[in-house]
Amino acid sequence: MSFLALSNIQKSFGSNRVVHNFDMEIEKGEFVSFLGPSGCGKTTVLRMIAGFENPSAGTITIAGRNQNDLKPNQRNIGMVFQAYALFPNMNVFDNVAFGLKIAGLAKAEIQTRVMEMLKLIKLGHLAERYPYQMSGGQQQRVALARALAPKPQVLLLDEPLSALDAKIRVSLREEIRLIQQTLGITTVFVTHDQEEALSISDRIVVMNAGRADQIGTPFEIYNRPATRFVASFVGTLNVLAATVVDPAAGTVTIGDQTITLRESIATMAKGDHLHLALRPEAGSLAEGARGDTALVGAVTSSHFLGSVIRTRLDVAGTVISFDTFNDPNTKPPAVGDHVTLRFAANDLLIIRD
Amino acid sequence: MKTNKILAWFVVAFGATYFIVPLLATFEFSLRMRRGEYSFDAYATVFSDVSFRESFSYSIAMAIATIAFGTLLVVPTAYWVRLRLPQMRPVVEFITLMPLVIPAIVLVFGYLRLYNSSSMIPFTGTTRGTDLLFLFALMTLSLPYTYRSIDASMRAIDVATLTEAAQSLGASWTTILFKCIFPNVISGVLSGAFITFAIVIGEFTIPSLLNRPAFGPYLQLIGANRAYEPPALAMIAFAMTWLSMGAIQLLSRFTISAPAKP
Repeated sequence: MSFLALSNIQKSFGSNRVVHNFDMEIEKGEFVSFLGPSGCGKTTVLRMIAGFENPSAGTITIAGRNQNDLKPNQRNIGMVFQAYALFPNMNVFDNVAFGLKIAGLAKAEIQTRVMEMLKLIKLGHLAERYPYQMSGGQQQRVALARALAPKPQVLLLDEPLSALDAKIRVSLREEIRLIQQTLGITTVFVTHDQEEALSISDRIVVMNAGRADQIGTPFEIYNRPATRFVASFVGTLNVLAATVVDPAAGTVTIGDQTITLRESIATMAKGDHLHLALRPEAGSLAEGARGDTALVGAVTSSHFLGSVIRTRLDVAGTVISFDTFNDPNTKPPAVGDHVTLRFAANDLLIIRD
Repeated sequence: MKTNKILAWFVVAFGATYFIVPLLATFEFSLRMRRGEYSFDAYATVFSDVSFRESFSYSIAMAIATIAFGTLLVVPTAYWVRLRLPQMRPVVEFITLMPLVIPAIVLVFGYLRLYNSSSMIPFTGTTRGTDLLFLFALMTLSLPYTYRSIDASMRAIDVATLTEAAQSLGASWTTILFKCIFPNVISGVLSGAFITFAIVIGEFTIPSLLNRPAFGPYLQLIGANRAYEPPALAMIAFAMTWLSMGAIQLLSRFTISAPAKP
């Protein structure tokens, strides 16, 4: 049985339904990210788990206990906010000790636990500092320690890295993941940054317009997107329009070029139109490159980016982009060259809307 | 450049003169009670007057009560409006502005009509009841200033997120209000308190019509009948105001007013 279960959750604000029939089961100790664009409902679902919003329908259970009727301060859920939300009138020690004092722990116990938490986030030497005396990254680590101190059953992270600069963001996300794994705490992380979600999650829920479009591991989400939205939102994707030639054999045409798909299109009819997607890193322009499928196109641009060369090709009127590793012995293609792009038919995805 | 600097200093000097000369003149006049020499006789007379001590202590007690109850009324109200009823903010702001447009005399006549000894709520039937009515009137008069200063302090902190952070850590509404919100709006409370203090000490109309022994009516009585004591009283009131301002400044040094970085 799952540890955190969201069953048929719905949420409406007036006549506007922002979450539709959301189902999700999260195992104990799992790190799950809600990924999606602004306004897709990911934060609303998180706030319903925290108890700050009540679901219009559906149930939320943690360790088998229905949470719907519990107030936020009765749920024992730790939460970290984008804006840190440290209490400005309290120093680091008092901020981390806040939840422990509320829980009525003894003074000695609070002292031990707070120092334990500060050691975990490597800020033991800043216990006397006030929030305004610290950097954004330090404040967010204190916020994390504060949320973890009362030993919550679930940790919720609401875009905790969005307000930080790029370098801190990368180091802190790794730190968050390490702490989560060390403590084995069930964690739900909300982000609109696909790289963040892909790098630290056990599973990702890609949300679109209040619905979970796909739930899967980062590998599955990136390599086998279930919908056109997931494919376009996670990573960069080249989309090619194709026409079915022989459904049984799986052959389609892109412009005047014919290729054979690995995925079955037997249910489609001859002349049907479909969209095919190819990741930029899936193809190669090198002579003798591996790949059972090829497309010919004209180079429209070629950018040398150091370790990578980004080439844009015009294939049957559609410009597609490809990244290949820099080879010091091979010159990048020039604009106007006609080149052959080779890739595995397996990498070609049929996009379902 | 040099001309501009001289002009700037001239403006500053003119402004300072405008405030300082009358003050010095009042002070100088208050020292002339003894014929032919300067003395503090007027101050001695004022301090030895039982009515001064009684009226001044009464007004100070009323000022402290007004600040305490006013804060207890305004902080939760401003907090709740910011947190749950943001759409009501213009309405609340309008209500809190009413004491500025309704003269105190109109207010007190309204009170006397509604709460006289033969009414349903006979506040003026007893001394304590009248004191309570006076307290409510003072709270109403100070509302435009206290609400605005406290609301401005709340704007500087993210009330909603701080509340949610405290809730997720298990805090009740009382704990949130007194441990997480109130300490962070203390600078606003203190600013409001200073203005309230000044209003209460100088208030004449309401205590006069409610027949309460406040400092304002005493000041008026002395001013109408004596020559040297009124300037001495003015100087004492002025000193008290500056002392209270200093005390507020001192208190605010002990508060952490800098908000967390967003």
